[in-house]
Amino acid sequence: MKIHDIVLIGLLSALTTAGKLALSFIPNVEIVTLFFILFAVTLGLKRSLLISLVFSIVEILLYGFSTWVLGYFIIWPLLVIVASFLSKRIKTEYGYAVLGGLFGLFFGMVFALTESFFYGPAYGFAYWVNGLVFDLIHGVSNFILILLLFKPLKKILDSQLMRFNLI
Amino acid sequence: MKKKILAIVAVVVVFALLYAGYQAFLAPKGTEGSKEVTIKIIVEPEEINETFTYKTDHEFLTDLLKEKQDELGAMLESSEYGTMVAGMMNYKADQNKNEFFLFQVNGEDSMVGTDDTPIQDGDVYTFILTTW
Repeated sequence: MKIHDIVLIGLLSALTTAGKLALSFIPNVEIVTLFFILFAVTLGLKRSLLISLVFSIVEILLYGFSTWVLGYFIIWPLLVIVASFLSKRIKTEYGYAVLGGLFGLFFGMVFALTESFFYGPAYGFAYWVNGLVFDLIHGVSNFILILLLFKPLKKILDSQLMRFNLI
Repeated sequence: MKKKILAIVAVVVVFALLYAGYQAFLAPKGTEGSKEVTIKIIVEPEEINETFTYKTDHEFLTDLLKEKQDELGAMLESSEYGTMVAGMMNYKADQNKNEFFLFQVNGEDSMVGTDDTPIQDGDVYTFILTTW
């Protein structure tokens, strides 16, 4: 790992955290999914995975340790791995929008699974059903955000990475 | 761009349909009609152990608590997670002493708050001052 990689990972983790905080006043509308898919496609698996881990650790520093933290360490790296794997097959932003949409829809389910690990399946099911409307909002907002912003952001990130000889 | 707008409209329509489906089949529903329920309040340090029985047509428990707020001495606070029962019988749970009101439905700790508790005939709702 080179120094410029370390700097890049730090900067983009901070950008993701800032992006999340900036939109945190709207429930389940977030830019983190878009960023992680974008990073997975442009920066490659290794650097993106590290960004997702740094982001999850910073979440603990901001909000304290809780059971949902476990979910974060599963769900964001998983998204990066899936997006990186699919980047060879997906040619347009529509594919990524669908991926982000599905990710939003199943977001609550992953947390229901980790919560049921701590509090039992009945709690997990109640948790999931209670949050279904938010999962729907999450899926739809992810789809729209990625469809509109993926292409222009990729263009900017690609040109900046080339400018600093990072790809 | 036109194609994108079409895709967004299509997704929003699907969302609206799914939301309607959720409201129709999965969202918690209360039964209309006359229901008799019991509310128990236990605040040990104040030696309070009260039982109230109400007939109600409300669908959710929060509505009943609001209607009988004076009699129950209920202090209800709105938070981003829904209504919080901060106090009962005019006793406010002291957060500095780690106190809170444990909420049980028919003797079992409730998974949800009073906002999401549908009133069923014969239910017993218990609020116990507890520490965490």
